[in-house]
Amino acid sequence: MSAAGSIRIIAIVGGSAAFLIGASIFLAAIGRPPLATLSQMVLYAFGDSYSLSESLVKATPILLCALAVILPARLGLITVGGEGQLYFGALTGTAVVIALPAAPMVVLLPAMLLAGAIGGGAWSGIAGLLRARCNVNETISTLLMNYVAVLLVNYVIYGAWKDPASLGWPATMMFPPAAIVPSVFGTRAHVGLIVGIAAAVVLHISVTHTRWGIALRVLAGNRKVAAMAGFSFVKQTLLVMALGGALAGFAGICETSAIQGRLQAGISVGYGLTGFLVAWLSGQNFLRAIPIAILIGGLIAAGDALQLYSKIPSASATIMQGLLFVAALGASGLAGRGTARHG
Amino acid sequence: MAETEALAIAGSWVAAMLRSSTPLMMVTLGETLTQRVGIVNLGVEGQMLCGACVGFAVAAATGSPVLGFAAGATAGLLLSFVHATLCLGCDANQIGSGIAVFTLGLGLSSYFGRSAIGGKVAGLAPLADNSFADALFVGPILTQLTAIAPFAILVVLIAGLWLYRTRTGLNWRITGESFQTARALGIRPLLVQAQGILVGGLLSGFAGAILSVDYTQTWANEMTKGRGFVAVGLVIVARWNPFLVLPVVLLFGLSEAATLRLQATGLTLSPYLISCLPYLVCLGCVIIVAVREGRIGGMPAELASVFGRRR
Repeated sequence: MSAAGSIRIIAIVGGSAAFLIGASIFLAAIGRPPLATLSQMVLYAFGDSYSLSESLVKATPILLCALAVILPARLGLITVGGEGQLYFGALTGTAVVIALPAAPMVVLLPAMLLAGAIGGGAWSGIAGLLRARCNVNETISTLLMNYVAVLLVNYVIYGAWKDPASLGWPATMMFPPAAIVPSVFGTRAHVGLIVGIAAAVVLHISVTHTRWGIALRVLAGNRKVAAMAGFSFVKQTLLVMALGGALAGFAGICETSAIQGRLQAGISVGYGLTGFLVAWLSGQNFLRAIPIAILIGGLIAAGDALQLYSKIPSASATIMQGLLFVAALGASGLAGRGTARHG
Repeated sequence: MAETEALAIAGSWVAAMLRSSTPLMMVTLGETLTQRVGIVNLGVEGQMLCGACVGFAVAAATGSPVLGFAAGATAGLLLSFVHATLCLGCDANQIGSGIAVFTLGLGLSSYFGRSAIGGKVAGLAPLADNSFADALFVGPILTQLTAIAPFAILVVLIAGLWLYRTRTGLNWRITGESFQTARALGIRPLLVQAQGILVGGLLSGFAGAILSVDYTQTWANEMTKGRGFVAVGLVIVARWNPFLVLPVVLLFGLSEAATLRLQATGLTLSPYLISCLPYLVCLGCVIIVAVREGRIGGMPAELASVFGRRR
C-alpha cells in the first residue's frame, strides 16, 4: 500500500477512536449513558426513511458550503466564508422574488437561483479580489464578512422587506409557489442535493483531468513557475473564490426557498462552519466530501432529534462537531508525522 | 461655557471609547503575543466565548467580579491548551486547529451557558462615585469606568516592555522570527510557542470575562460577535507590536462608541446597518495595511508559512 494510503487509514481509524472517546466523555459528563446515546444518534440519523431524508436535508447546504471551501483550497487559499456567502446568496435570491412575485415559474425559479448564486459569488469574489490585488489574507476577510452578511439579512427582514402580515415576526412574505425549489424523492430533500452532488463530480473531474486543474496545482505549488507557464494567480483566485461562493450562495437561496419558504433569521445553523469541517475531513477532496457531508448532516439531524425526544440541547451537536474536528486534525497530523519519521 | 460643554462631551466620549475597547485590548494583546512566537490562533473567538460564559457564571454565583475574571481567564487558558496540543503536539494545520477550537468553544459555551442566561452580576465599582459626576472632563471618565480599563492598559504596557526589554521577551521574538535560530541559540522553540499560545488563551478568556462581567453584565449565546476574529485582524494592523495595540484598539473603540452615539441621536439608520461598521472598519484597516505592507513590515517570519508571502 502507498505511504499516503496507509497514513489515511491510520488517520481515519485513530481519529474515529479519538472522537468516540471524546464524545463518550462528554456524554458521561452531562449524565447520559454514552453508548446508548451514541447508538440512538445513529438511529436518529439513518434509522428510517424519515430520519434519512432529514439527514439529507441538513447535508445539502453542508456539502455545497464544503465545495466552496475545497475549490479555493486547491489554489492554497483557506476561506471560512461559507456562512456569509450563504446568507448573501439568500438575500440576493430573495430580492428577485420580492421584485417579481407574480412571475411564472419558468422565469422566477431560474432567475431566483441564479441571483442567489451570483450574490454568493460576488460576496466571495470581494475576498478573492482583496487577496489577489491587495494581498489581504482571505481567511480574515471572509471571517469578518460573515458577520456583515448576517447583519444585512437582519437589516432587510426587520426593515424594508418585512411582511406586515407576519404580525411583527421578522421575515419576508411567504414565497409564491412559483419560487419554491422542488423537492425530490417525495421527501423534504430538494434539488439542491442533486446540484451539490453533480457539482462535486464535475469539479472533481475538472481539477483532475483538465488544463485548468494543472493551472491550479502549479499555482498552488510555485507561483513563479506558474507565471512563466502563463497561469495567472489573480485570475484563478477570482475564479475559484467566485465559483465557490456561488455554490454557497445557491445553498442559501435553496434553504430560504425549499426549507423556510421565506427569508428570515436563522436560515443557517452554522452550515458554513460545518462545511469548513467537512472540507477538512475530506482532505480537500470533492468526491470524499459527499459521504462525509451526509454523515455530518446525520449528526446534526440526530442532534435535533435528541433535543426533541431526549431534551439534550442541540448545542451538543456543535460540541460533537468540535470534538470530531479536533480528533481528525490530531490523528491525521500524528499519522503524517509518524510515517514521515520512519519512512 | 461652550468650552466646558465641549470638555464634558469629550469626557463622555473617552469613557465610552475606553469601555468598549477594554475587552478587545486584552484579546488583541493575547493574539499579538501568540503570533509573535509564530502561531496563529483563530480559536481566540471560542476562548473568549468560554471566558465570557465561565466568568459570568462564577461572578454570578460568588458575587465577586474578580473571581469571575480569574475563572474566565482560566477557561480561556484551558481551551487554548487544545490548540497547543494540536499545533505543537500533532503538527496539525494552525488555521484548521483554530477553527476546531472555535467550534468547540462555541458549542461548550452555548451548552453550559444555558443556565446563566438571564442571570445578574454586580460588576466592579466605578472609579469614583457620583459626587464626581460634574467634574470637568474627568467626571464622566471616573464615574463610568471601572478599575479594569486602567488595569488593561497597564497590562499592555508591561507586556510591551517585557517583549522588547527582557531576555525572555527576546527569546520569544527570536522564536517567531526563526525556529532554526532559536534552536541554535539553545532556546526550546516548542516550549516558547506553547507558552505563547497559553498566554494568548489566558488573555482571551480574561477579555471574554471583562465583556460579560464588566461591560454588558449579561451572558448571551455568541455574545462576543466575532470580536476574537476582529482581534486577529487588528493584530496585523498593529504590526505585531504590543505598544501599537493600544492606539489601534482605542481607535477601533472610538468607532464603536461613535456608532452607539449615532444610534442614541435618533438617527433613522437601521441598527443592523450600523452594527456592520466595526467589521468594515477592521477590514478597511487590514486592507490599508496590506497595501502598504512592503513599507511597514513587522510580521514575524515564521508566520509566513501560515499567512503566505506576497507573490
